[in-house]
Amino acid sequence: MEDRMLFIGMPLLVANIAMAIWGIGYRHLHAAGAYLPAILFALMGVAFIVIFGLYLKEEQDEFQRDLWVQALLWGIGATLTVITLWGSLVEFELAKGLKLMFVFPLFMLITCIARLVLRLRYR
Amino acid sequence: MFSSIKSPEQRRWVRSCWMSAALVVPLVFGAAVAFRLYHLHGVAAYVVAFLPTLPILWVLVELGRYLAVEKDEFQRTVLVQCVLGGTGGTLATTTIWGYLEDFARAPHLDLVYVYPIFWLFVLVSYPLVRLRYR
Repeated sequence: MEDRMLFIGMPLLVANIAMAIWGIGYRHLHAAGAYLPAILFALMGVAFIVIFGLYLKEEQDEFQRDLWVQALLWGIGATLTVITLWGSLVEFELAKGLKLMFVFPLFMLITCIARLVLRLRYR
Repeated sequence: MFSSIKSPEQRRWVRSCWMSAALVVPLVFGAAVAFRLYHLHGVAAYVVAFLPTLPILWVLVELGRYLAVEKDEFQRTVLVQCVLGGTGGTLATTTIWGYLEDFARAPHLDLVYVYPIFWLFVLVSYPLVRLRYR
């Protein structure tokens, strides 16, 4: 079930992130009409988080679960590090602001790299 | 304050959190004053901007260290689940808010608030995780 949902959700999420990077379809929505697409797009990300949480809960293979948990911990640690450093630079006007919606893709990228490294470690 | 904490590793972790919190305030204040008074630029500006983040990052390093050395499986599992809860909550919040900022022009949330939001969700997760193991 989770696999199928991810199979549909992942391309949508990637398309969504690509749209956010290039600003396609943004900036000409107003007031209440703008909230609906915002929430719909955000729900894709939230659904991904929920599905992943369900997967971790149901995974029977202890090793696989432990590997993902370790990767997620590295992911959040590194993401918070990058965000805090970048945030501090922005506060002192030394860097441009990062869109808040990119925190999630950044976390996913770091988590995937961490998972690859961890898999190599346990080979 | 630490008398109720049995494990020396846990005591070290809690102590580093308090020390970090105590260090952040003067460092942020000092950096803000330095920027205002000396109009810093170049390498000095980057160094001063990074200074307040050091105690914050120290807490993350100590968290990783604590999770690696804690012998009590239960305590470690509880903390890991709280951190995962915090991760989920933070990512959900930043994603929703990020899209609202972009589409609906919601007020901008500074990146420096992501870290406190994470710990807020970790704190909220704690009683929920404990309830599961009752």
